[in-house]
Amino acid sequence: MIDRAFLDDLRCIVGDDGVVTDPLELLTYECDALPHLRASPGAVVLPRSAADVQQIVRLCARAHVPFVPRGHGTGLSGGALPVAGGVVIALSRLNRVLDVDIPNQRVTVEPGVTNLEITRQVAPFGYYYAPDPSSQQVCSIGGNVAENSGGAHCLKYGFTTHHVLALDAVLANGDLVRIGGTFADTPGPDLIGLIVGSEGTLAVVTSITVRILRRPERVQTLLAAFDTIEAGGEVVSDIIGAGIIPAAVEMMDALAIRAAEAAVHPNFPQSDTVLIVELDGPSAEVEALFDIVEQTCRARGARSIEVARDEAQRARIWKGRKAAFAAMGRVSPNYYVQDGVVPRTRLPEVLNRIRQLEARSGLRIGNVFHAGDGNLHPLICYDERVPGEADRAVEVAAEILSYCIDAGGSLTGEHGIGADKSAYMPQMFSADDLALMQRVRAAFDPDGLCNPGKVFPTPRLCGEVPGPYREHPLEKAGVAERW
Amino acid sequence: MVIEAGTAEDLASALRQASELGHAVVIRGAGTKADWGRPPQRVDRTLCTRRLNRILAHEHGDLTATIEAGAALAVVNASLASAGQWLPLDPPFADRATIGGILATNDSGPLRQRFGTPRDLVIGVQLATADGVLARAGGRVVKNVAGYDLSKLVAGSFGSLAAIVSATFKLAPLPKTTRTLIATAPDLDVLAQIVRDVMASQLEPIAFEMQTGNAAASRTIVMLRFASTPAAVDAQIAAASGLASLKASAPVVIEGDDEPARWREHAEGIWDAPGAVVRASWLPANVATVMRELQRIAGERRGLIADGGTSVIGRAGVGAGLIRVGGDSRDQAAFVDELRRSSAFGNVIIVRGSAELKAMIDVWGAQGDRERLFASLKQALDPKGVLNAGRGPL
Repeated sequence: MIDRAFLDDLRCIVGDDGVVTDPLELLTYECDALPHLRASPGAVVLPRSAADVQQIVRLCARAHVPFVPRGHGTGLSGGALPVAGGVVIALSRLNRVLDVDIPNQRVTVEPGVTNLEITRQVAPFGYYYAPDPSSQQVCSIGGNVAENSGGAHCLKYGFTTHHVLALDAVLANGDLVRIGGTFADTPGPDLIGLIVGSEGTLAVVTSITVRILRRPERVQTLLAAFDTIEAGGEVVSDIIGAGIIPAAVEMMDALAIRAAEAAVHPNFPQSDTVLIVELDGPSAEVEALFDIVEQTCRARGARSIEVARDEAQRARIWKGRKAAFAAMGRVSPNYYVQDGVVPRTRLPEVLNRIRQLEARSGLRIGNVFHAGDGNLHPLICYDERVPGEADRAVEVAAEILSYCIDAGGSLTGEHGIGADKSAYMPQMFSADDLALMQRVRAAFDPDGLCNPGKVFPTPRLCGEVPGPYREHPLEKAGVAERW
Repeated sequence: MVIEAGTAEDLASALRQASELGHAVVIRGAGTKADWGRPPQRVDRTLCTRRLNRILAHEHGDLTATIEAGAALAVVNASLASAGQWLPLDPPFADRATIGGILATNDSGPLRQRFGTPRDLVIGVQLATADGVLARAGGRVVKNVAGYDLSKLVAGSFGSLAAIVSATFKLAPLPKTTRTLIATAPDLDVLAQIVRDVMASQLEPIAFEMQTGNAAASRTIVMLRFASTPAAVDAQIAAASGLASLKASAPVVIEGDDEPARWREHAEGIWDAPGAVVRASWLPANVATVMRELQRIAGERRGLIADGGTSVIGRAGVGAGLIRVGGDSRDQAAFVDELRRSSAFGNVIIVRGSAELKAMIDVWGAQGDRERLFASLKQALDPKGVLNAGRGPL
C-alpha cells in the first residue's frame, strides 16, 4: 500500500506540511462524529487546490491505494471513516469563497467552507443558504454535498440536492469534471442529483455552486404543549391536511424536554410532548395560516401555546430544540441516536411501537424528531458501565430502524448510510437494487478506491458494528450540537 | 414492432428479450416528444408505456404519490385534486405528456420558478434495466438519503440508461387562489430592471415569465403568478405593482377563467408557430445583454427576420427558455451555432427541428468533459446499446 516512495510523492504534491503521518496526529482523523468506528489511515493529505486533489487521486490510482475524502468530520454515519492504511484526503484547506453573485443568487465555494459561512457571506444583502443541519457552524459544505444534508427547514425548502447548481469533481482516475454549471439545464442525466448524497463514493468534489434564497418577509414560530404524543402528531396531520407547508415542524417528548431543560433552560412546559411550528413567507400569508395553526393546536387540546414575539424568543425556542441531543448527557450517562424515517401518517403507530420497545428493553428512549417529514431521531439511553447495555442499545436501534422499514420508510433521513448502517441496506433494498447502484458506482470508480466500505453492505470486520453514540470532541468542546 | 407493456414484469421481459436479440429499443409514452433528440439510428422495437398508467398510491396525508410511467400528468392531477393536491409540473403538452416522459426529459414549465423541475420532486423510482432487471432506488418518503438517488440519474437521460416503470413524487397542496400580473416592458433596460427588482424582492411568485413574439421589437411581456390565500395574493400583487419598473410597464391583473386561458396561450404559442424550437439558458440578471445578443444574432440572418422573427418564452427568474427560430434549415443551423458561440448563452439544444436541420448541426452540442462520464455510464447500464437508438444525449 503506502510506502516511503508514495509518501515522498505526496509531499512533492502538497509539501511537507500537507502530509500527516505522525501516529498522534493521525488520531484526529481516525473517525468522524461516529467515534466508535475507528481506523488508522496510512497518511492524511491536505491539498490546497483541485489540481492537488487530481494529482493525489492519480497517485492513489497508480498505487492502488484507497482514499477517503473528508470535510470537517462532523458526519454521524462514519462516512469519513478511513480505510486502515489508506489515504485520507482532508479538504479543510480548500476553504475559499470563490464567487458571490447576488444578482444571480448564487455563491461558489470550495468544499472546506462551512455551511454557515455561505449565509454569513450573503446575509448583509438579505439572503441565506437554506439547508441548515444543526452542525452548520462547523460542518463543511463538501460534507453536506456528500451526505445530501437537510436540517429542520428542509420540509419546505428541500435538501442540499435542491440547492446545488454546479460541482467540480475529481473522478477516481484523476479527471476533473464540471457538473452542472453557470447556466441551467445541462443536457443529460442529472449528475448533480447522483453525486449529491453519494457519500463520497463517486468523486471528490472540489468546488460547489449553491443557490441562495431571499430572506422571507415574515417568520412566525410557536411552541405548543400536549398531553400525548398522538395529539401532537394529529396537529401535524391537520396542518398538512389544511394545505399548509410549514418551514419546520419539530416534536420532542417528555424525556427530551427534561434533558433540554436541564442543559439550556429554554423554559419549555413540562408536558408529554412539545411541538414547534414555524411558518415563513409573505406577511399576509403567514398571518392567515398562522391563525389556522394556532386554532388547530387549540382544537387538539394544547395545554399551552407560546408564540415567539421576537427574534430572541424564537432563538430560545430553537435553542431548546437544538440542544436536545447533547442535553441527553444530562439524563443518561450514554446515548445512541438513530435517523430513521417513516411516512408522516405512520408516526403515531411507530412511536407506539418504540414505547413498547422501551418498556420491553428496559432502556429509556427519548424522541426528538422532524415531525413534518417523519424523520425520527430516537435517543437510546444506556450506561456503558452496565455489562451488556451498550449492546442492547445497538439492538434496540436496529429494531427501531426495522419498524421504519416496515412502515415504508427509510434507514436514514439525513445522516447517511456511511459505514454505520451499510449492513442494514438489504432490509431496504433488494439485491437487484443494490447491484444496479453498484453498476453506477463502477462507472465512476471501477477499481473501488473512492471511499470504499461505505453505503453498500460488505462482510463486516470484527468490531465494525453499528454502535452507540459517544460524545464527539467538537461537542465536548461546545462548538457543535446535533439534533 | 410496438410492444405495449401492461405490467412492470412485461416491460422488463420485453427489454431482456430485446437485449438478447440485440434489438434497438425506444421507449414511448404519449409520443409528445418523440421527435426530440437526434433522429433515431435504427428502431427495432418501440416499447409503449401507455398501459402502465395507474396511480399506484396516493398517500395524501404524506403528500406523496407513486405513479406508473405511462399515466398522463393531466389525468394524474385530476385525480390528485380530489384530495386538494397536485404534482406541480406544467411542461409543454401537459394535457397528454406522461409521467415517464416528463421525468426522462426532466421537462418543466413556468411553475419551475417555485417548484423546480421533475428531478426536484421525484423521490423514488422503479426502473427496468436494459437487460431486463427490475430495480428500485430512493423510496416513498420525502426525506431519505439511503443509497444512490437513481431517480435523479434518469431525469434528463431521455430513456438511454433504463426504462422508468414508475416514480414516486412529493406533492403540493393545491393553491386556494391564484392571480397573475401581466406587464409589458417597453424596452430591454426596463425588462432587466423588472427581473432584478423581482428577484431582489420578497415576493414569492409561483411563475415568473417573459415572452416576446418578436425579439427584434424589444417590447417584452412579463407575467408574475401568485398563489396563496386570497389576502396574501392581493398583497403580493399590490407589492409587485408598486415596484417602479413594473409600474412603468402598464401592469394588469388577470384572474378567474381568463387566467388559466392566458397561461395556456403563453405556454402553447411557441409550439403552435412553425419553425425550429431551441432551448437555451442564461444568467437571469443579464437578461438585457442576453436579449440584445439574440437580436444581433437574429438580425444577421435575413431569412429569420422575413419569417416572423424570433420569439422567446422564458423563465425570467431561472434564466432558461425556448426560442422559436423561423427561416430555412440553413438559417436555423447558423442561428444555433451562433448561440452556442455566444458567452451570453449556455446549454443550447435543438428541441424541435427538421431532419435537415438536425443533419446540419448536432441537437445537443458538445458536452465537454462530461462526454467521458456519459460514455462510462452508458457502458455500465446499457452495454449493448439497446436503449434510445442514439437519440442522445448519451
